[in-house]
Amino acid sequence: MNPFTYSRAADAAEAVSALSAKPHTKFLGGGTNLIDLMKMGVETPAQLIDIGRLPMAQVEELPDGKGIRIGALARNSDVAEHALIQQRYPLLSQALLAGASPQLRNMATVGGNLMQRTRCYYFYDPAFPQCNKRNPGSGCGALKGYNRIHAILGQSEQCIATNPSDMNVALAALEAVIRVQGPKGEREIPIADFHRLPGTTPNVDTNLKEDELITAVDLPAMPFATRSHYLKVRDRASYAFAIVSVAAAIEMDAGKKITAVRIALGGVAHKPWRAKKAEQQLMGKDADEKVFRAAAEAELAAAKGYEHNSFKIELAKRSIVRALTTVAGMNS
Amino acid sequence: MSATTLIGPARSRVDGRLKVTGAAKYSVEFEVPKCAYGWTVESNIAKGKITAIETKAAQAVPGVLAVLTHLNMPKFKEAPKKEGGGGGAGIRNEERFPLSDDGVYYAGQYVALVVAETIEQARHAASLVRVSYAPEEPLLTMEAAVRKADKPKKNNDTPVQINKGDVATALKDASLVKIEQTYITPTETHNPIEMSGTIAHWEDDQKLTLYDATQFVKGVQNILARSLGLELENVRIICPFVGGAFGCKGAVWMHVLLAAMGSKVAGVPVKMHVTRRNMFVGAGHRTPTRQTLSLAATKDGKLQAIQHVSETLTSPVGQFTESCGSRSTGVMYESPSIRVEETVYPVNVSTPTFMRAPGECPGTYALECAMDELAIALKMDPVALRLANHADNHPTKNVPFSAKHLREAYQLGAEKFGWSKRNPELRSMRDGDLLVGWGMATATYPAHKMSAAAKVILRADNSATVQCATHDLGTGAYTAFTQISSEQLGVPFEKVTFELGKSDFPFGPVAGGSNSTGTVGTAIHEAAVLLHKALAELAVKDSKSPLYNTKIEEIGMVAEGRIGIVTDQTKSDSYADILKRAGRDSIEVQSEQKPPEENKKQAFQSWGAHFCEVKIDPLLPRVQVTRVVSVMNCGRIVSAKTARSQIMGGVTMGIGMALTEETSYDPATGLPVIRNLADYHVPTNADVPEIDVSFVGEPDFAFNPIGARGMGEIGITGIAAAIANAVYHATGKRVRDLPITPDKLI
Ligand SMILES: Cc1cc2nc3c(=O)[nH]c(=O)nc-3n(C[C@H](O)[C@H](O)[C@H](O)COP(=O)(O)OP(=O)(O)OC[C@H]3O[C@@H](n4cnc5c(N)ncnc54)[C@H](O)[C@@H]3O)c2cc1C
Ligand code: SF4
Repeated sequence: MNPFTYSRAADAAEAVSALSAKPHTKFLGGGTNLIDLMKMGVETPAQLIDIGRLPMAQVEELPDGKGIRIGALARNSDVAEHALIQQRYPLLSQALLAGASPQLRNMATVGGNLMQRTRCYYFYDPAFPQCNKRNPGSGCGALKGYNRIHAILGQSEQCIATNPSDMNVALAALEAVIRVQGPKGEREIPIADFHRLPGTTPNVDTNLKEDELITAVDLPAMPFATRSHYLKVRDRASYAFAIVSVAAAIEMDAGKKITAVRIALGGVAHKPWRAKKAEQQLMGKDADEKVFRAAAEAELAAAKGYEHNSFKIELAKRSIVRALTTVAGMNS
Repeated sequence: MSATTLIGPARSRVDGRLKVTGAAKYSVEFEVPKCAYGWTVESNIAKGKITAIETKAAQAVPGVLAVLTHLNMPKFKEAPKKEGGGGGAGIRNEERFPLSDDGVYYAGQYVALVVAETIEQARHAASLVRVSYAPEEPLLTMEAAVRKADKPKKNNDTPVQINKGDVATALKDASLVKIEQTYITPTETHNPIEMSGTIAHWEDDQKLTLYDATQFVKGVQNILARSLGLELENVRIICPFVGGAFGCKGAVWMHVLLAAMGSKVAGVPVKMHVTRRNMFVGAGHRTPTRQTLSLAATKDGKLQAIQHVSETLTSPVGQFTESCGSRSTGVMYESPSIRVEETVYPVNVSTPTFMRAPGECPGTYALECAMDELAIALKMDPVALRLANHADNHPTKNVPFSAKHLREAYQLGAEKFGWSKRNPELRSMRDGDLLVGWGMATATYPAHKMSAAAKVILRADNSATVQCATHDLGTGAYTAFTQISSEQLGVPFEKVTFELGKSDFPFGPVAGGSNSTGTVGTAIHEAAVLLHKALAELAVKDSKSPLYNTKIEEIGMVAEGRIGIVTDQTKSDSYADILKRAGRDSIEVQSEQKPPEENKKQAFQSWGAHFCEVKIDPLLPRVQVTRVVSVMNCGRIVSAKTARSQIMGGVTMGIGMALTEETSYDPATGLPVIRNLADYHVPTNADVPEIDVSFVGEPDFAFNPIGARGMGEIGITGIAAAIANAVYHATGKRVRDLPITPDKLI
């Protein structure tokens, strides 16, 4: 653990200017990920700016029926229990409640959850000499190591880590927009562009700039989000990261023809994986298990497994099928 | 409540209030003035030599008091004794003293200790220590270590290689039904809620007090005295509460020795709290096992041969071995031929230790899965197969088992579970879309006896204090011992104070091997006999006593608070009156620590049967255990509530073993990759169903005067097999390597 200074920001502008004022500065949200990583010596900030008390914890309706805005400091449990979220975006509520434990959800913030880092063992413990994400150029310890929890889609030889968040998977399916504030003002980043694939720079998780603060997450209006389901497959019944998860929402006409569909996968890639190929295959087809399976096959066609995680390919396909049969109301 | 009934009263814990209010003090919570903190640096290679250690930057950190490495570590005094079990000499599973040479024997080995005024300073300084190594190719797996095989003859004086009858011929007999399969269990880590920790406080240069999270205060005292060259009575160990142990606090681990030496060098008390991360390396684990079972039986299910070949690992600096075969197959079934073979391979992995039912737990997993496979090959009901091979006599010692009621356990368990409604057809039972599986297995654990002594102080106000250097690991021992004391002394439960966890008290053995209740209970019994005799001696000399001039031998306890003539209970006297008339406020007796009496004419072993139900989604096959019925036969159950909790705890841990727990290692560095509670999956509440626990049998007075064989470990034996067998019944897929995670069922 490195020595560091700690201060509390009074407002967003102060937080942003403190961030640019000194190198190696980090925001502290709920601290459930950052403090762990600091104790492990993975993160070694020289300065912590506690943003936990910034007045950005509301969940509010946007004007003109444009959707809902969630403050970046809203706690995961408050968002999950919020009536507006439960009514209009039950998918997000389910995803949040599937994550971590009540104690952690009470601390964890929306901004922190978006920014949480991979649970790759080699990244998490500096005793391992190889990790391109922690120490660029050192190699990837997981590639030939123990890689049961690692990626099957969109990975590179430089990094096969996954994004561990449940919330992010739901946000991907809901096409959330991340609002951020930097020294030059505010901007919006669609969730699809927020997290990155590892490529040759796995040390960079997101497209948030070093001097930017996440202020809110907007959920655009999406009437069929009420017909949605978050499916999480994990090793134990509760309190475990997803091996594979699926966020799905569907709209069908009276004849069961699919008129709109959103699918995102968790636990399979360096970012929440929007299953566009599967969605395209499904559009206009009649909801049916075989059709779902074909769509899942299409999405996973490019998947690649490693020594311990190849099972995820079949598991992901099955999970897509199950999530879709559930939202389509086809399960007994 | 009489001491002859099977089940004692359901008392709530005497220390319950202390625990729920946070007033119970665990070892590292003691406050010692001027206490500094120790933090370790660990090796990140598995084998090799340290070529240089740079400590200047660490030393320059404000608050740092000492940085110890093998270059400046003072020498410990005595080579550690080879000592297992409950002997007074203490237990060291890791034989090498910490920082004693430049060798690295496993990844994660402590290579330096930093002592600083605050824990943050120590931690930061430790991160600045730079170690250079000359790495060598490590042996990390069983396959790699084969040529180093060691075949131990004995484990704690019990033979582990068994050859009875002619297994080879039976296994070749074409008229017999046979199965042969290999079962694998992974490394498992104890993970009690309270991590290990020690505060070392030198009162002067010859006197040391340790607040240590331990299952064996007397053992720690002995080892510390020997290795630091101190008089035994100048080393005091204090440990009133333990927050779970499961075996990982039975031996003296390196942090204890480091704290003592670090404190000596730094000249201030030192607190060392083993991090959760280091609990995966520095406090033992259950070794992985590979077990091959070969069974041959007649067509009507009579076993003719059982062969149990097990392979396990140990560290190059350790001596612990997990005896799977001798502790399961060696005791379980009647068979004319039994062969048990055990091989241990040393690898460059940290030192393993006992973990709840060491040997019995993985051993019964393999044996009881094999029995299920045999039942299927024979088209026989699994319970019927076990009944057909029930052992009235110990299968290798050939003496009868004492108070064995395993048949009743099968019967009651089957009844409570509804076993007769089981359709033996695979994949035949459903709950909606879910596959349903029913499985069962036998549980067993030996009755261990060690030696102990107890001191009793009885006061004229009818209150008593009883002391023994034993332990409460969170199991409810305080309550059970208070209850035994109350019964044996004849003092009301509310008026007994039982004290433990201090090396100043009379000898108590390691709280391991499920021995404490019986062993310490026997010591309390012996002290009670002495107390009644001492009271009788006062009474017979007192002309005002109804017992005046009676022969001492005729006197015993006749009712609570009274001694009298055992054959003529009209003549009796109360403790309070005897003491008052003698002008005494109190009377004190202490029983003697002597080696336990051995009864060679009988064998003593506890038994049980687990029945369980699992439900599995065939598409996304995560196993959910939905019902468990466990019936145990452990002699007398002293304390109904805490006993039930022990079985529930064992079953819960067995669910983890069967389905989720595994400490995996990086194949390149040999470091564990699973090192925290987010990744090491112990069962959560959602993973554990209602567990229906019952007890059958009778007090086993042939074993000890308390009639209790102990029951801390038996709950975990067999349960993993019952679950694996249920999974097979549900899915038709036999998974022979634990844990049964979803990937293995896809
Ligand atoms: C044992 C355990 C189990 C878990 N299980 C799950 C699980 O099953 N599913 C799941 O989804 N998650 C799980 N989590 C992760 C948990 O969801 C995250 O730790 C949490 O969401 C992080 O939020 P936080 O506010 O505590 O972030 P912090 O730890 O405070 O911050 C994390 C990162 O985000 C940055 N940050 C925070 N807020 C902002 C902001 N507004 N703008 C810019 N940067 C910001 C910080 O600088 C830091 O780098 C688990 C965590 C633990 C410890
Ligand atoms: S997968 Fe990524 S995070 Fe993990 S070791 Fe490789 S580079 Fe590091």
